Amino acid sequence: MGLRAIHFIVGWVLSISVFAQVQAADLVIVSSEKTAGHVETAQTVALEFTRAYPERAQPSITYLSDSRLQEAELLQGARVVMTLGSDALASVLALDVRIPVVASLIPRAGMERILREAPSKSQASVSAVYLDQPFSRQVELMRLALPNTRRVGVLFGSESSQQSPTLQSALQLKGMELVSGYIGGSGTLFSALKAVLDDTDVLLAVPDSKVYNGSTISNVLLATYRARVPVIAFSPAYVRAGALMSLHSTPRQIGIQAFAIAKTHLTGNTGISLQYPTDFTVVLNEQVARSLDLVLDERSLTERLKRSERRP
Amino acid sequence: MRFQGIRFRMLLAAITPVFLVVLALMAVFWTTRVSDLDSAHTTRARLIVQQLARASEYGLFSGNAASLQAIANGLKTEPDVRSIAIFNGNGQVLAKAGETRYAELPEAMGANYIARQKRLGVDVFWERVWPSNVALDDFYSGPTQGLNSNVLGYVVLEVSRDRLDQSGQETLLVALGIGLVGLMLGGWLASRLGEGVIGPVMRVSRAIERIGEGDLNPSSEALPSDPLFDLQTRLNQMAQRLAWGREELEYRVEVATRELRLKKEEAESATLAKSRFLAAASHDLRQPTHALGMFVARLGQLPLDISARQVVDSLEASVSSMQDLLDGLLDVSRLDAGAVQVHRTEAPLDKLFQAVHKALIPLASSKGLRLRIRPTQEWFLSDPVLLQRVVMNLANNAVRYTEQGTVLVACRVIDGGSSLRIDVADSGIGISPEHQQEIFREFYQVGNSGRDRTQGLGLGLNIVERTVKLLGHSISLRSDLGCGTRFSIVLPRALPQEFSAPAPLTLSAQGGELEGMRILIVEDDGFALEALQSLLQSWGCVVNAAANVQQALDFVNAYPAPDLVLSDFRLGEDRNGMDVIDMVRAHSRRPIAACLMSGDTDANLLHAAKARNLTLLHKPVRPAKLRSLMRRLAISNASDAEASTQELVAGR
Repeated sequence: MGLRAIHFIVGWVLSISVFAQVQAADLVIVSSEKTAGHVETAQTVALEFTRAYPERAQPSITYLSDSRLQEAELLQGARVVMTLGSDALASVLALDVRIPVVASLIPRAGMERILREAPSKSQASVSAVYLDQPFSRQVELMRLALPNTRRVGVLFGSESSQQSPTLQSALQLKGMELVSGYIGGSGTLFSALKAVLDDTDVLLAVPDSKVYNGSTISNVLLATYRARVPVIAFSPAYVRAGALMSLHSTPRQIGIQAFAIAKTHLTGNTGISLQYPTDFTVVLNEQVARSLDLVLDERSLTERLKRSERRP
Repeated sequence: MRFQGIRFRMLLAAITPVFLVVLALMAVFWTTRVSDLDSAHTTRARLIVQQLARASEYGLFSGNAASLQAIANGLKTEPDVRSIAIFNGNGQVLAKAGETRYAELPEAMGANYIARQKRLGVDVFWERVWPSNVALDDFYSGPTQGLNSNVLGYVVLEVSRDRLDQSGQETLLVALGIGLVGLMLGGWLASRLGEGVIGPVMRVSRAIERIGEGDLNPSSEALPSDPLFDLQTRLNQMAQRLAWGREELEYRVEVATRELRLKKEEAESATLAKSRFLAAASHDLRQPTHALGMFVARLGQLPLDISARQVVDSLEASVSSMQDLLDGLLDVSRLDAGAVQVHRTEAPLDKLFQAVHKALIPLASSKGLRLRIRPTQEWFLSDPVLLQRVVMNLANNAVRYTEQGTVLVACRVIDGGSSLRIDVADSGIGISPEHQQEIFREFYQVGNSGRDRTQGLGLGLNIVERTVKLLGHSISLRSDLGCGTRFSIVLPRALPQEFSAPAPLTLSAQGGELEGMRILIVEDDGFALEALQSLLQSWGCVVNAAANVQQALDFVNAYPAPDLVLSDFRLGEDRNGMDVIDMVRAHSRRPIAACLMSGDTDANLLHAAKARNLTLLHKPVRPAKLRSLMRRLAISNASDAEASTQELVAGR
């Protein structure tokens, strides 16, 4: 009797371990944070994975804010690692990862900095879906929404200043002029902002936490409003805070695109793919638009922008 | 006044809780109000400074001093705001409104400055100005760690507490006013309440006071709504019962008084009966005693051997004693009947004294006593006859009861010459104090319970006292056992006058004057008639003895007119002795000397006799007296003089 019970228990434990062995996840998702956006992205990826590989084990999702990353556990049996956010990528790259990494929810500038600073021993091949939108798309949006725009004001911080030439060239293609201001050093935000807002038609916000953060955004938006300069932002939160409109990709759009890259790795492709988001959304603050005497519609804007991208 | 204490206590008892409650309410109201005001003040100041910080945010962000100044100026118009200052992040002042007492920002934020200003009545508030934070928790903004938003600047607000303190004072005044009104109201209510208690108590007190003063009528003050209604009702019941009790008591007293009056009347009627009995008995005794006296006198005139003479002498003494008794009773009954007339006149005292001396000296001499009568020139105002009887009585007693020594009769002037005091003193055995009040009573004799007749009858002092009272004088007694006795009579003094002494009635004692005197006796009592006839005949008189009026008239018709008519007053017929005398006088047509004898003490009889100028002899008539009277009448007849007008009322 006792012997049989012991046999049963041992057998049960063994069967579980064998099952776990068999069911090890092919895709591991590591997220920097557990915000609504991160969670939605991760779930989108998991959903796409399940749709693509219904017979395989669910991707494992790890949030860095919940636990420290354990290499052995995390990567055991995994074939692709997907990171959500800059920290997740940095953390994963700190490990001895030999499988493909798909980075998402990360600005292009941040990605490049992390890759520069990553340990040299890392042998991982890193693909990415950038968080920020291509300047050409933003310029096209400005042309569509504000056809009279000639001078475009941009505030750069130390992180984003490298993008200045790229942006300038994109603007010039459409016949626009870049009026840039730099934050840092002795100048204050307001003095830079004041300089940029003088004689510009629109302020284009470029992601840089030194320039745009929770503390500054309301005063910046207040200053632009007083100067009656519309702001094209990169996040729906800015629209809520008072920006005219935002051009961005939703977590779901990014998640789908990121899984598409991961799927190529799962199917054996080892090439690196670095992409801007292909799908995007335009969100409009109608109140601000009314205040600035602008008549716009976010749905038609989105459609026209997408159409203009498909045309060439 | 006696309700002031209770009224005050009631007021105190009622007003103290009111006072305490009002005080507590005032304190609570005031402290709460002040605390509310303070809290509102502080809250408002904090609100202002927060709003200032919020409003200054963009100005500080943009470095717009003008807009900050506008904000400061705007808030400066708020009440109580003394100063407003806005500093940038480096502590430089960007805008200032009002008068600040600090130079630099760090000083304004320092605890010392804040405490100092608080003592001066100014609250200092300061606030950092932070950029307002917008939640941008999305991944588009990139990493935000390590981003410390800088302080945009500082705002400092100074708020005066003046208005607050003023409000506190006003609140205090209001609280005091309300408290005062509450106290007055409470006091008024308390006093009303107190009156509600005091009033009934006072009504009860008044009711009790009335009962105390003897008014037992139920009080009409009690009302059914009265808190002490029961008490008043019971009080009224008590008063009612007291009234009933008093009425019952009065009734009983009345009954007792009636009984007492009845008893008194009984006693008085008993006394009256006694007097009547005494009068009747003495009257009835007079007749036989009268006859006995006559018989014994007649017997004494007979030749007797020695042993018979001794018996007759003793018989005479007994009869004399009996006659004294009857005389005393006669005097008492006369005094009782008010028959004694007082004839007040001025008279020399010495004459009275001499008479006493003359009367008593034989007795005193026989007992070996010294009788001293001190001569005097004083006159007195009184009835001489009655006064002489009083003095004589007293002196007689003194001589009789003194075995050895002296009896003194004297007079002295007292009361500054207005009065005289006649003293009768002896060196006898004296009278003990317990007997001194008793000796004036009838038949009272000290130490003579055996009623020895030789010691007198005990009527003397009683007669003396009555007579003195009748005269309006006073008598006093001073004596003690073994120290003798002194009686003193105080009477008015009179001025000496020219005194012509009337010719003394010097009756010659020759026995022959009555020889052959024709005498008509009218007496209805056979024994008395026979005794008198026998006695007069023994004196040599020619006696016609008539037993009734008819016989008397027969004698008058048959014989020559008598020299003297002796008639009893009551003759057992319609006509009395006076009628007989009138008839005899009418028959003989001249005023024949006549003498009326009577056992009665009737005052009317006295008056009638006096009106007819008749001599009235009270039975028992003593033979010696009768004889002396007859002698006097005989002399009068002889000198053809008018009948003597002297009435010998003094029957001794």
